Amino acid sequence: MTSEPNFEDADAFYESLLDAHQGLSREQSESLNARLVLVLANQVGSTQALLACLKVAQETGDETL
Amino acid sequence: MQPSTLTYAPALMANGYEFSGGSGYALPQYPFSPPPELTEQQIRRHEIVIVGAGLAGLTLACALNQYGVRAVLLDEDNTVGVKGASSRGICYAQKTLEIFKRLGIYDRIAAKGVQWSVGRTFAGSDEVYSFDLASASTHNISRQPPFINIQQFYVEGFLVEQLYQAANRTVELRWNNRITGFEQNAEFAALNITTPAGDYRIEATHVIDCSGARSPFRAWVAASVTAKTGDDRWCIADVRFKHPPPVERHTWIEAPFNEGRAVWQHLMADGVWRIDYQMRPDADPEEVSREEVVRTRINGQLGRDVPHDEYDIVWIGPYAYRSECLNQLQHGRVFFVGDAAHVVSPFGARGGNSGVQDADNLAWKLAAVLQGRAGPALLASYHDERHEAATHNVLVTNRTTRFLRPADGAERVFRNAAIRLAKRHAFARQLVTTGRMSTPNVYSRSSVCHSSGGRALQNVALLWADGSTGDMADLLAWTQGHLLLLVFGRLNEKETRQLRELARQTGACCVQVVRKAALAAAKEHVVDSHGHLAGCAGKPRWAIVRPDSYLAASGQQLVDAFLTQAVSSATGAAA
Repeated sequence: MTSEPNFEDADAFYESLLDAHQGLSREQSESLNARLVLVLANQVGSTQALLACLKVAQETGDETL
Repeated sequence: MQPSTLTYAPALMANGYEFSGGSGYALPQYPFSPPPELTEQQIRRHEIVIVGAGLAGLTLACALNQYGVRAVLLDEDNTVGVKGASSRGICYAQKTLEIFKRLGIYDRIAAKGVQWSVGRTFAGSDEVYSFDLASASTHNISRQPPFINIQQFYVEGFLVEQLYQAANRTVELRWNNRITGFEQNAEFAALNITTPAGDYRIEATHVIDCSGARSPFRAWVAASVTAKTGDDRWCIADVRFKHPPPVERHTWIEAPFNEGRAVWQHLMADGVWRIDYQMRPDADPEEVSREEVVRTRINGQLGRDVPHDEYDIVWIGPYAYRSECLNQLQHGRVFFVGDAAHVVSPFGARGGNSGVQDADNLAWKLAAVLQGRAGPALLASYHDERHEAATHNVLVTNRTTRFLRPADGAERVFRNAAIRLAKRHAFARQLVTTGRMSTPNVYSRSSVCHSSGGRALQNVALLWADGSTGDMADLLAWTQGHLLLLVFGRLNEKETRQLRELARQTGACCVQVVRKAALAAAKEHVVDSHGHLAGCAGKPRWAIVRPDSYLAASGQQLVDAFLTQAVSSATGAAA
């Protein structure tokens, strides 16, 4: 897994992500995210990288914002 | 006294299961004869006592009989099948079929059973994906197909008949002999047995518990068990249609005709379809098993009001499953085999298939120890290997269970996501599971398998030295329980001499494997024209193959210290 910046265009991706969720109910957003996670996971492929990604997401969830 | 012949005509009979119905099967009855111990004063000691004549116990008995090992097989009733009810296991995987080939009952299974290769999985009214195993290259080098579907009692019946028909039978079958007590000490185990003609006691050097998921031995030896129960409930309807559907395996993850829950549809022998419905977790088993309720479900599935005479209901049975695995498969003199050792959900056919493979694993080891080819250390490897297999099977089936019965919340959200994606994109089909089909387990931490081994070799076709056709199973049967040392390619005189010496010292059967008969230098040789045997062994110069068709070790150098050591290690000799 890379935690170094890797986006070709981070702002553009972030905007597309928000646009995709615009107008969706919480439930629809939840299922869109679930599908997106699975699509992205297949792009990554490597078990080691996927588990590392999961860990990063889990760990940052523990912190109080 | 001859056992009655197998006739499985449907007949009206009650079975011992609550809430089950249907007309059932007529199962064979085997003769009870009073054991000699009933009239003797002294207690006999047997080398091996097998408890339970189910799939695992009968496989073990047949294998021991083939190795010429004496054993007594005890069963609490006098028939095969689940107390005269219906079939439990229905799907026999390639590795199991290869074992049955070696035991001599494969042809009968192939003739009676149903082969299938097309599977289709549906969600809602859409097909999520389909596969055709016949076109999958991973399975096609074995002489056995990927799967055969057949009712379990047929397989058990064939094994019983194989034992009765054996020219030299070393295994004694004792029907209506039920165990009521057990104890063991440093020297032997003692068993109390009750029969219709009275009670008796015997001693045993080794007790093999094949008595199934309700084994009394677990409590007798205070075995610790890792277990998991869920709330998933299913109900089987075995039916015979007048106009049968196509021979394909259909599975619905979300069946519109079953309130969005799962349904399985498999064909077995005699044109009997097993239709298995996932129920609401709080479903009343009595209600869902009522014939009218079952017929209503089938009407829903076929999309019309099906007249009663268009199909017979052979059997109805509701069930819940759990996963359990003993933490030690050997407790003193007791070895746990099959469901007695581990229980899994039915998805992927990993119950019966692993029981047969447990039995085949233990059989050659018992034979090698009792016939003086190995020390007792070899028996300890049974736990190493089959506990690893059981743990893996539990892991795989629990994952499927979680997919089929997702918890509310995120688990269900992700399952919906996977199913939706799978309808359009191939990658997501990898996430959809209705059961990962049983394949031979890998032994990665066995004391008797080198890291270059631990894998099963498939039953590839070979040509014998005289040009006739055979296969690996025949070759293994020919070794009569000895290790098989395969040497690939040409051999010079020095190598031939060294191998002959190695074979003489270790008792291993050495066979040269060549691509063309003209290249053979050894009298004992086989022709592997397509290189399939070399390929599945990983293209080594030599390979040590055990009687259960597992690779113990393989290497590239002839004849070095590693090879010599590997032959001894394969039977548990200290390094």
